Amino acid sequence: MPHLDAGYNLARWLTRDVHDAEDVVQDACMRALKYVGTLRDGAARAWFLTIVRHAFYDWCGRNRPAEILKDDGTAIDMAADDTAVGPEQAALRSAESRVLADAVAELPLVFREVLVLRELEELSYKEIARIADIPVGTVMSRLARARSLLRRSPLLHSIRGRTSGGEQ
Amino acid sequence: MNCNEAGMLVAKYADGEVDSLQGRSIEQHLRGCAACAAKHQDLLALRAQIGAEVPYFTATPELRERVRALLANAQDTARARPRPKRDRWGWLTGGFVAGCAATLLAWGVGTTVIAWRANEDVAVEAVATHVRATLNNHLIQVASSDQHTVKPWLSARLDYSPPVQDLASEGFALTGGRLDMLNKQRVATLVYSHRLHTIDVFVRPESAPAPSTLRTVRGFNVVHATGSGMDWIAVSDVNADELTEFVQRLAQQTPSP
Repeated sequence: MPHLDAGYNLARWLTRDVHDAEDVVQDACMRALKYVGTLRDGAARAWFLTIVRHAFYDWCGRNRPAEILKDDGTAIDMAADDTAVGPEQAALRSAESRVLADAVAELPLVFREVLVLRELEELSYKEIARIADIPVGTVMSRLARARSLLRRSPLLHSIRGRTSGGEQ
Repeated sequence: MNCNEAGMLVAKYADGEVDSLQGRSIEQHLRGCAACAAKHQDLLALRAQIGAEVPYFTATPELRERVRALLANAQDTARARPRPKRDRWGWLTGGFVAGCAATLLAWGVGTTVIAWRANEDVAVEAVATHVRATLNNHLIQVASSDQHTVKPWLSARLDYSPPVQDLASEGFALTGGRLDMLNKQRVATLVYSHRLHTIDVFVRPESAPAPSTLRTVRGFNVVHATGSGMDWIAVSDVNADELTEFVQRLAQQTPSP
């Protein structure tokens, strides 16, 4: 299972829980075995990550249906509106002590998954589009939104303040 | 390039998703535009910070071991129960064989029908040719009762040489020959007279779909025989028995006594 780490990393960031991530990965491995015929050459990692993502959404539908609902529906609109302050942003702003990893974990699901695939898996827009089953344009806009949400987190502000202060 | 155009490209550029042409123009813009350059630096800084602070989780050895056991187990069960797979292949093979059988059957029926239609057509065409020649009084292009005159005349105009035989001694006198078109091919036509009847005998190289031996079309008898490497199709109002005997004599080419 050469891409187990990649699959586990994605599952870990999507579920935000050690044990849930392991459940999702095990389910994904069983599915991978079943659908190994659909694997194309040279794209094994993206293929496995697609399966992990599907396994996660199925698992999430069974165990945390509210999360998909919240993140797929209202969260996008709210986050897409710069002036609106959603609960996530409010949480981010209030949590001065949180590190960047927590800020990533607090991102709404649809932004979190593209950010993790881009920044941690270092996949191309095209590969992310295929995995998340969305157009490349949507990958770009979600990525931009994810970054702007991160940048607006209080943690980042404090860091930027520090670095620019250092330069002066 | 202005900042508006550069806006989305900056992120693409930072993600390494621009082609070399776009890359050059964005680099040029970044050199001249402090705002966009800051945006670019911002993205790079964020990337660096994510790289440094956001962990990449790797599977624990326990999970790795569990997955390995899981997969090995699944493969064992798959090996222990090979039936569904074989069933599916069985179906596929069955379907394949049935498909082949159906194709062969269709081909067989098709060729039979086509051959039958072709024979039908040849008989009808032969009668039509015979009638047309009779009506136009155009029965004979080379008039001779001498087989050694008729044969070379035909051979010179065809890509084959039809055997020509005078059977005057048996009441079938050779009166001449002509060329006709039959089934889109040039054929030799031998003209015989038998009492007051005229007999047209179309001679062509033997072809695969052999016409039926005897048919009656519009009152004319059409008799077919094969021999000497030729198809012999005789058309006449002579009665069927006599005509059959005559055409078989011709086909066998037994020298006249």
